[in-house]
Amino acid sequence: MPTLPTTVPTEYYLAVSAALFVIGVLGVLLRKNALTIFMSIELMLNAVNLSFVAFARQRGTFDGQVIVFFVMAVAAAEVAVGLAIIVDIFRSRHHVDVDQVSWLRG
Amino acid sequence: MEVLLFTLIAAVALASGAMVVLQRNAMYSALFLVLNFFCLAVFYVLLNAYFLAVVQIAVYAGAIMVLMLFVIMLLNVAHPEPIDPRFSVLKGFGALIALALLGELAYIVLRGGATLAAGPAAIATGDATHTQGLASLLFTRYLFPFEVTSILLLAAIMGAAMLARKRRERL
Repeated sequence: MPTLPTTVPTEYYLAVSAALFVIGVLGVLLRKNALTIFMSIELMLNAVNLSFVAFARQRGTFDGQVIVFFVMAVAAAEVAVGLAIIVDIFRSRHHVDVDQVSWLRG
Repeated sequence: MEVLLFTLIAAVALASGAMVVLQRNAMYSALFLVLNFFCLAVFYVLLNAYFLAVVQIAVYAGAIMVLMLFVIMLLNVAHPEPIDPRFSVLKGFGALIALALLGELAYIVLRGGATLAAGPAAIATGDATHTQGLASLLFTRYLFPFEVTSILLLAAIMGAAMLARKRRERL
């Protein structure tokens, strides 16, 4: 690689976004703590946000950034309600282990 | 120069993302996630999305993660969860799915089609007009989603307050 590009190409951002997304998927699938799973979901959302902004820069419009704006708002709402649910479950069960929250299992 | 900065920040972002998933203590996971969000804010600045960078720090790192840290400390679930040494089929399946996803994404990224070294001048020179450009789009074309989002936030507030209130009798 004789010369480095002066601006970071879009693929580099997409690669980082893909890697972060896969790390988030691993976290959701392999962890038992509900709060850690929540944080992995946030990691996935942020990876997709990065993709959106990278493509917005490439296309020259702001639509991707507006979408990221909405994703952040929806993620905030989701975290608020999800944490309320986790707190409620903890109050009756005194743990946040998702393996043991299996009342609906047939 | 920008590529060097990008590589450094990308390494920190990926490392902190991995630590979020690998840490046994939920508090450490949350702190690593805050570091990851700061790295993403730097990425947004590199991508000329200055308003989003600040909103990322203010909303994600400053509100959402603080809320999660509150809950972690309130529920006192920060004690390390023991590592289950048995290799279950579920874990192997999960890892396989994640690898397949990584392969797909790598194929899409490496195949090309997203090749453009620099954005056009409309965004590249817009640090005084970036927020203007974002706002002009947000309040014209995306006005309806904007208003609906406010209703969504109201619903979330009511839902969270209702779920977390103290019950008079144990259900």
